[in-house]
Amino acid sequence: MARPRLLLTALLLLAATARAEERSVPLAVAEHGFAPPEVEAAAGERLRLEVTNQTAAAIEFESFELNRERVVPPGRTVAVYVSGLSPGRYEFFDDFHQERRGALVVK
Amino acid sequence: MIETLLIMWRESLEAALIVGILLTYLARSGERAGMRYVWAGALGAVVAAVAMGLASNGAAARLGPDAQELLQAGVLLLAVGVLSWMVVWMHRNARQMGGDLRRRADRALATGRLVGLAAIAFVAVFREGVEAVLFLWGVVVQRADASAPALLAAGVAGAGLAVATAWLFFRGFAFLNLQTFFRVTGILLLLVAAGLLTAGVNKLIGLGYLSPIKPQVWNTAWLLREDSLLGALLGALIGYRSRPSLLEVLAFLAYLPAMGWALHRADLAARGAAERAPARSAA
Repeated sequence: MARPRLLLTALLLLAATARAEERSVPLAVAEHGFAPPEVEAAAGERLRLEVTNQTAAAIEFESFELNRERVVPPGRTVAVYVSGLSPGRYEFFDDFHQERRGALVVK
Repeated sequence: MIETLLIMWRESLEAALIVGILLTYLARSGERAGMRYVWAGALGAVVAAVAMGLASNGAAARLGPDAQELLQAGVLLLAVGVLSWMVVWMHRNARQMGGDLRRRADRALATGRLVGLAAIAFVAVFREGVEAVLFLWGVVVQRADASAPALLAAGVAGAGLAVATAWLFFRGFAFLNLQTFFRVTGILLLLVAAGLLTAGVNKLIGLGYLSPIKPQVWNTAWLLREDSLLGALLGALIGYRSRPSLLEVLAFLAYLPAMGWALHRADLAARGAAERAPARSAA
């Protein structure tokens, strides 16, 4: 009985250490697309993507690579956290208007 | 036009599949009252989603988008709880199938279970309904010209297509005999619940409350992409993602043995009750 509980505690602790320092990255969505279209980050860094929808219609910030999906009503900003990424290019797009695309480049 | 249709198909698929599985199950076990509650939950959710979608579109929305997302994560976890409880009950129900008529009458659904069914249908439809309404509202706002009604119609057709997909999917189940049918739907519901749990965990990670531990345990995009037909279907049904984080994988994997244990306990309780029953009738 003690072992699973210990394991659970360890997991929760590990999960809770998430609240380490973070860097805010503003990311706007305008009619023509993401601004900036490319965001850079260091490997392992914890990022708070602040996605602002500047258009008049709802958008959906989505990325298969980052495993994230958030609807943003017009004129609103949402926070999307990503952390612990390995170097590489992580593409994202607006699922409601798929011509709007951008990428997070981790170095 | 086609894009609007496809987006709405995807946005509505999960709700259609979950409601579909509940209706199919209830139809085959002859629980007409339960079906009415599922329909009531689903239709109530459509109305609530339209209201909520339009309300959260205005700048004066009471809840910030992040608070709304947190609420969604909470509702998801709650849905996992209710669904798990339903699966345990359905499992017990399936064991008693084929009993005599009096047993069948005893099995009539209690109010709590009916409300549970309505609640699952409500959550499934409401969750995706709000997004669908926001999307369609955007379509109307962006095309304030003659093409808006046509696009709106395409969107509604997409939702209809999702319902048709779910209907076709579950029609395939009609060929299973009753025992296999209950086993298959039971397993499917467990996987659906595990998928909802993973989705809730994913939201909490995205909101920064939980750490993914490791952001990408594996990458199966080469095998099955989320934007393919099968990928979308599996995503909607059991929460398939090509690049899940370690915490999501752990949540999915931990849920199944936990439920296996709960079902085993239900079996033991049912056996105990069956052994006591003859003694009581003899007295």
